[in-house]
Amino acid sequence: MKNLDRLVENSARSLAKRTSRRSLLASLGQILTGAALLPLLPIDRTARAQEPARPSAAEQKCEYWKYCAIDGFLCACCGGTSTSCPPGTQSSPITWIGTCHNPADGRDYIVSYNDCCGKVSCGDCFCDRNEGEKPMYRLSRNNDVNWCMANSESNYHCSVSVILGVAEK
Amino acid sequence: MTRAAAALAAAWAGLLASAAAHGGNPAQDYVLNCMGCHGTGAQGIPGKVPPLANALRRFMRTPEGRNYVLRVPGAANSALSDEQLAAVLNWLAATYDTGAVPSQLAPFTRSEVATLRHQPLIAVLATRKAVVNALAATGPSPPSQY
Amino acid sequence: MTLLILAASIAPCRAAAPAKPQPPPLPAEHLTIATVGPKSPHWVYVVDYAYNNEIDSRVWLFDGDTHRRIGQIDTGFIPGINLSPDGKTTAVATTYFARGGHGTRTDVVEFNDNNTLGKTGEIVIPPKHAQTLAMLFTIGYSSDGKFVYVPYLTPATSFGVLDPAQKKVLGEIDTAGCTLVYPWGPNRVSSICESGRLLTVTLNARGKETGRTTSEPFFNVDADPVFAQAVPLPDGYAYLSFLGQVHEIDFTQPKPAPRTPWSLVSGAEKGTWRPGGVQVGAVQRSLRKLFVPMHKGGDGSHKDSGTEIWVFDLKSHQRTARWPIDTRASGGAVAVQVSQDQSPLLFVATDKSHLLILDARTGKLQHDEKNLGQTPQLLLNP
Repeated sequence: MKNLDRLVENSARSLAKRTSRRSLLASLGQILTGAALLPLLPIDRTARAQEPARPSAAEQKCEYWKYCAIDGFLCACCGGTSTSCPPGTQSSPITWIGTCHNPADGRDYIVSYNDCCGKVSCGDCFCDRNEGEKPMYRLSRNNDVNWCMANSESNYHCSVSVILGVAEK
Repeated sequence: MTRAAAALAAAWAGLLASAAAHGGNPAQDYVLNCMGCHGTGAQGIPGKVPPLANALRRFMRTPEGRNYVLRVPGAANSALSDEQLAAVLNWLAATYDTGAVPSQLAPFTRSEVATLRHQPLIAVLATRKAVVNALAATGPSPPSQY
Repeated sequence: MTLLILAASIAPCRAAAPAKPQPPPLPAEHLTIATVGPKSPHWVYVVDYAYNNEIDSRVWLFDGDTHRRIGQIDTGFIPGINLSPDGKTTAVATTYFARGGHGTRTDVVEFNDNNTLGKTGEIVIPPKHAQTLAMLFTIGYSSDGKFVYVPYLTPATSFGVLDPAQKKVLGEIDTAGCTLVYPWGPNRVSSICESGRLLTVTLNARGKETGRTTSEPFFNVDADPVFAQAVPLPDGYAYLSFLGQVHEIDFTQPKPAPRTPWSLVSGAEKGTWRPGGVQVGAVQRSLRKLFVPMHKGGDGSHKDSGTEIWVFDLKSHQRTARWPIDTRASGGAVAVQVSQDQSPLLFVATDKSHLLILDARTGKLQHDEKNLGQTPQLLLNP
């Protein structure tokens, strides 16, 4: 999971450095395939058993930069990490999206806030931040609804925050 | 490639490039506004969220299919502008299909979007069923169930 | 009788003190069920989502005069809650899992008798009631009490129309991506859309759709979105925006008609002082006053609790009072509600789980109830 993160981050970083997405699209002059946009779109990271979670101290705090629009319990305090659901839970296939500023590199990142589902409330590290968050009529940016709603086990346990890619202006 | 097909291919590429040149980013607009429910591969969720992959482009084959696509809730009431919505739909159609649909397919234009999207459908599933049945009779069609 | 004699003979010895006559023994007691007592305009229903134990939410009925809990209504997982127009029933749209925290999901609308706080019936609904923030708009009644409306979210949006008397589901209405239920009159329901519009559906006597209209956009979703938690008005609903605009919508017209927006904040205050919380406003109808929890903050602070309650005259749109809250002692305001009688009380739920009771005319704090629930976030007053 950590290596995959680094891969996506490096790709996004190098793409952003070398050429703007705009000029890339213009110069291609042909129909784009999904592969060209790999750095932006997430690889499906669910359903693979992982090694035991080792959350950093930073990602167990509400002020962590990735949590800028999170609402719920931090999975990093519940047996998971900011990118892994705790053992025995299932990730939500539907999510809300945020755009958070990383002070370490000065970039804005698009982040996916999946919920982890199928167990009762974790009850630890509750965090409710709302940068760019919108009410539920703007569902893709709303963190109030139970994003476990479409799971076969739809109880809410905790929330993660997964980088999708660099946000373009 | 025939001249007409080449012209269409050019229209597609031109539209995508123009969206980008005007500061648009359909891939990012998809991620920010649609991907949360329709998924990373535009695959939807069985029983809950319709797929756009191997579906959207097929709806675009007929006027009824195009009419349906522009009036579904996610399009009709989206916060995206007409131009952004056209760009996202065209980008999805270009990116997420196995190519079963022949390339003689006109991309959505801004005026087509503007004309149709403000009459959202009342009975979405019933309309989808009718449109998909009609498409299935004449060529590649979206899945009837999801 | 033997027991009592034995007890009397084992009385401890006291040397040299004159014998005090022992009080007569306590009589046997009778176990009873407490009654709710006569309905009071100073009752408040306090909705506690119990975030740390979300399948265990509940509503407390609290007496604003005696400062006593009258009793509890259990409300399951992420419920929608509302009172019937006659105030006699609390309707709850909620979810239960077959094995407590997991297992087959069943959604129901439960009806509770507010005179006994006992459950009187239920309607099983499709397992898709909208599970979201505590709001007045995740279940609603028609004005005559004949229909109950429940918004659904799968994530596709629609709402169910129920017959509370017959205890059955009459049907389901697609809402084109628009969400929640803002009922009006005997047969109209509006939903709010990402496009900034209101969708309004009209129903016939059997709860089937006879027509629908969509308004022009009345707010800008990107620049200044409105809270979906509208504030009920005598003639419609007011939608407060993140930057403090008040969008009053007149629902008595053939189609919901927005009035000219007015501002809660001055030019100097705009962007700094903002409405916020969960239940972001309440109207006292006879005084024609609007109460709003306000905080200082920037973008992303729309759920911050209020450090002050601001009071506005609905006729003049002027602010008539600012009441600071002792947030260190009680926490900040997340919900406000006001009673509609001649001596109105302002109820304030805080993020430290207190319930504050203020005189709604003067702002004087009458009572600070500590620990009323775990996460009280919505207040209902009949």
